[in-house]
Amino acid sequence: MADRNSLLQEINETSFMVNDLTLYLDTHPEDLQALEAFTQAAAQRKQLLEAYARDFEPLTMNCVCPDCNNQSQSNTRYPGKKHFTWCDGPLPWDNQV
Amino acid sequence: MWLYEKRLQFPINIKKTCPKTASLIISQFGGPDGELAASMRYLSQRYTMPCKEAGGLLTDIGTEELGHLEMICAMVYQLTKNLTAEQAKTAGFDAYYIDHTTALWPAAAAGVPFNACEFQSKGDAITDLHENLAAEQKARTTYDNLIRVIDDPDVREPLKFLRAREVVHFQRFGEALEKIKGTLDERNFYYFNPEFDKQMISKVR
Repeated sequence: MADRNSLLQEINETSFMVNDLTLYLDTHPEDLQALEAFTQAAAQRKQLLEAYARDFEPLTMNCVCPDCNNQSQSNTRYPGKKHFTWCDGPLPWDNQV
Repeated sequence: MWLYEKRLQFPINIKKTCPKTASLIISQFGGPDGELAASMRYLSQRYTMPCKEAGGLLTDIGTEELGHLEMICAMVYQLTKNLTAEQAKTAGFDAYYIDHTTALWPAAAAGVPFNACEFQSKGDAITDLHENLAAEQKARTTYDNLIRVIDDPDVREPLKFLRAREVVHFQRFGEALEKIKGTLDERNFYYFNPEFDKQMISKVR
């Protein structure tokens, strides 16, 4: 199982690439090199979000799966019980330890 | 429609309580060139933008600004969450504390409440894009000013990230402006309003 903080850091970095390339492609929609980079980064981001949701809490509603999220049972008030996993994990504005 | 993502765009982990710093940074939440004004400016302007690509860009930059607003609020929150009454009294946070305790409320560093008059949505593509270019530079200047007076690296790093984003947004709005000009009469871009006098646009996409 990956470390929570390093996986989150990877998600932040990959998502930043997707975000920055989105703005670039908004004004350069036919730039093939940027399109290739976007496609790669977007696919990687999807994989990372899924991996994070499996080990820890889902970061988006699309990743919520009560039967398969948070296999580390960390940061949850309902360990071992079927529950709405969207409630798991820290709040983004709290200090991450 | 928006989909929330439970993470900050750039990590924020401030360990040292500092109400003075919070009272300065809050300007980028509710101040004249803050992220609330930025997001509302772009997300309001986009509906009537005659060039589809510019409308899409306004949506995407406006959305990113919402993420920046969340970062600034997280910083103010972390700077004040362990505040003592004594610190509230002495560290330049007293007036804010009386009205809002340590809750987040959009105001400028000088205490002026957030006001929609800080931004414009004029219904003229050329006017609005120039407004946006100026807004990105004004926000950059504000970040420059904050970075000059704040020493804590936990606060400086996210501010430097936000400053860099202003520069990128400026570039993208500049490209959108050129794109729109490409659809207008080059002898006089300001002769008519491309959002209203639609018959004057030659090749809107």
